Amino acid sequence: MLKINDIHKSFGKNEILKGVDLSIDKGDVVVILGPSGSGKTTLLRCINFLERADSGNATFGDLQVNLHDASKKDIHAIRQKTAFVFQNYNLFNNKTAIENVTEGLIIGRKIPKADAIAIGKKALDKVGLSDKYDSYPSQLSGGQQQRVGIARAVALNPDIILFDEPTSALDPELVGEVLTVMKNIANEGTTMLVVTHEMSFAKDVASHVIFMDGGVVVEEGSSHDIFVSPKEERTKKFLKRVLPEDYTFYI
Amino acid sequence: MRNMEKYFDISYIWNSLPVLLPFLKVTFMVAGLSIVFGTFFGLILAVMKLGKSKIAQKTANFYTTILRCTPSIVLLFLVYYGVPALADNFGLYLHDLNTAVFVVITFTLQFAAIMSEVIRSAYESIEKGQFEAAVSVGLSPFQAYRRIIFPQALVVGLPNFGNGLIALLQEGSLAYTIGLIDIVGKANLIIAANYNTHALEIFIALAIVYWVLSILIEKFFGKLEKVFSKGKQTINTN
Amino acid sequence: MSEGLNYTFLIDTFFVALSGVPITLFVTIVALLVALPLGFLLALTRINQVPVLNWFSRIYVSFVRGTPIIIQIFIVYASVPLILSLFFNRYNININVYDINPIWYAFIVFSFSTTAILIEVFRSALSTVNKGQLEAAQSVGLSNFQAYRRIIIPQALVVAMPNICTATVNLIKATSLGYAMSLQEITLKAKVAANAGYNYVEAYIDIFLVYIILCSLVEYGFKLYEKRLRRYKYASA
Ligand SMILES: Nc1ncnc2c1ncn2[C@@H]1O[C@H](COP(=O)(O)OP(=O)(O)OP(=O)(O)O)[C@@H](O)[C@H]1O
Ligand SMILES: [Mg+2]
Repeated sequence: MLKINDIHKSFGKNEILKGVDLSIDKGDVVVILGPSGSGKTTLLRCINFLERADSGNATFGDLQVNLHDASKKDIHAIRQKTAFVFQNYNLFNNKTAIENVTEGLIIGRKIPKADAIAIGKKALDKVGLSDKYDSYPSQLSGGQQQRVGIARAVALNPDIILFDEPTSALDPELVGEVLTVMKNIANEGTTMLVVTHEMSFAKDVASHVIFMDGGVVVEEGSSHDIFVSPKEERTKKFLKRVLPEDYTFYI
Repeated sequence: MRNMEKYFDISYIWNSLPVLLPFLKVTFMVAGLSIVFGTFFGLILAVMKLGKSKIAQKTANFYTTILRCTPSIVLLFLVYYGVPALADNFGLYLHDLNTAVFVVITFTLQFAAIMSEVIRSAYESIEKGQFEAAVSVGLSPFQAYRRIIFPQALVVGLPNFGNGLIALLQEGSLAYTIGLIDIVGKANLIIAANYNTHALEIFIALAIVYWVLSILIEKFFGKLEKVFSKGKQTINTN
Repeated sequence: MSEGLNYTFLIDTFFVALSGVPITLFVTIVALLVALPLGFLLALTRINQVPVLNWFSRIYVSFVRGTPIIIQIFIVYASVPLILSLFFNRYNININVYDINPIWYAFIVFSFSTTAILIEVFRSALSTVNKGQLEAAQSVGLSNFQAYRRIIIPQALVVAMPNICTATVNLIKATSLGYAMSLQEITLKAKVAANAGYNYVEAYIDIFLVYIILCSLVEYGFKLYEKRLRRYKYASA
């Protein structure tokens, strides 16, 4: 459903992505792991054209584009098929929770307002915020804000949702509520591409795990492959560092 | 010198007000036009400052620095004498132009510099993520600016815009120096008609008018800011 | 004028305008010397809600910010001689008020307006310095005065510096209105030179250039000073 081929991206002299391939089928939950600075965020941002890649191709269903010189129309089409959940939520500060969720539906998709509101309420209910429709972001906790962010993505009913470390800006006690919501929507069959440092989520939910380092995919496979029998030295080192004691727990 | 009581007569203040106030029309008209044109050019300058082109950035910043360093009265006379002289070179005769035109040109130039900074800083105060989130849910870049960035930048920019208006109004008081009969020009006419006596009372009347206007503008923008600042409350339930 | 600019006049008058710079700077410096300490003290009355002074400062600031400086000049120039002559008459002092050098009026007006501007500058700067700073200073045994002198003021100054710079530039610009008091500053000197041959365009270009040079230098100076203040701030952190 989504295929990325040989994506390259440099910032100035720094080559951040050095030819990454990626393939996601419908209903997959692909988790990208990797040390800080390995280019995970950059990869997601290039897929959504928040950053322009230097080269590479993407296939979204029947739509094929060059990631470097896609037309405005193609970019718009791809953004209509995807949704993005940001590390720092990026809720629209001037809009209530429900308005955040319906903005893309009403303005981007031209869905009638009443229908959009119905969809939006359902999405907010799903993330457990039935009582916060009319709250502004400044009135919500970080966990609640991120759940609105997820509802905003879910409401669009996109082909795929891209998550960039959705829990890493949250206080530890708020991480759980967001991961629970993500698990629920994964179980409903939503296609997801998730960058995260939450190993338990990767282990429990991922249908496919990708380990990135230094701008390349070092190793990929099922969560069992990666967590139980990693082959590459770099993967082993990384896992040892992020799962110091609990390592055996995953076997 | 005669004694003070005879010289300072408070009734002159109240009596001059009804004569002065109609001339606020001229003040407002000149200020209004300068605001409209100045905001327009200020927007262009702000776009130049925020854009990618280094030359455009440098040009716009240079313009702002120059204008910031030039006293209004100097700019006013530079325009008053300079524009017709410049036009002569192109075979245009502008020496008989209405003084109000020169005043509007001057304060348009000045207000554009002020507005470019107001707009730039308001825009820059909005995090980049707001735009990214907007396009990620399928808004076009224009829609993202129109519906997400602009309303938020407006709230940030409003108080500065209000301050800019007050500054414009006050600097505009110098227009009388090139012969505009606005409220200050009229005040000077009244004083001349009184053979320069009771000038102090008339000036106090002028000060009252400007003071009240400034306070009204400030209050108005305070209210406006509240109206527009949706989602600005910071009751963090975290 | 259609015959183009008179370049010799342009160059000669540039130096005439330049000769007004010392007066402009003199007035600016005196106004700042009065306004900096006075503005700071009155800002303290605002912050600490000192009963009567607090209200006085508020109205004073509101008036100065609410009225054009030219009108403040008109008022001072019309009222001070009145008050003085009344005073001189009563005590039989034999001074003609109209012999007073206009620079004294300039000192009064510009100190008066700059003080008000600086009250606001210091008030907002002081309110950004965390209240905890004062409490912490007191907790280690500093007196109120010491706490301000050593902890609060240095921090507030860093915050206030850009606004003090703006106030200074505005003050220099405002001295161009000294013509209304016959103050022999930049603008008036060049204008008088222009009167003879109607070379107004040239004269105003010169005035314009002198102000740009002057203000740019002042801004540059403040930038350097700010850098030093900041470096001190971090180096000592
Ligand atoms: N806009 C940019 N300009 C310059 N360099 C950038 C930019 N964005 C990212 N980088 C650099 O690219 C590298 C990869 O960044 P990226 O955010 O993709 O890493 P990451 O894998 O998401 O790391 P983390 O786990 O810390 O989020 C980093 O070294 C970063 O400094
Ligand atoms: Mg990242």
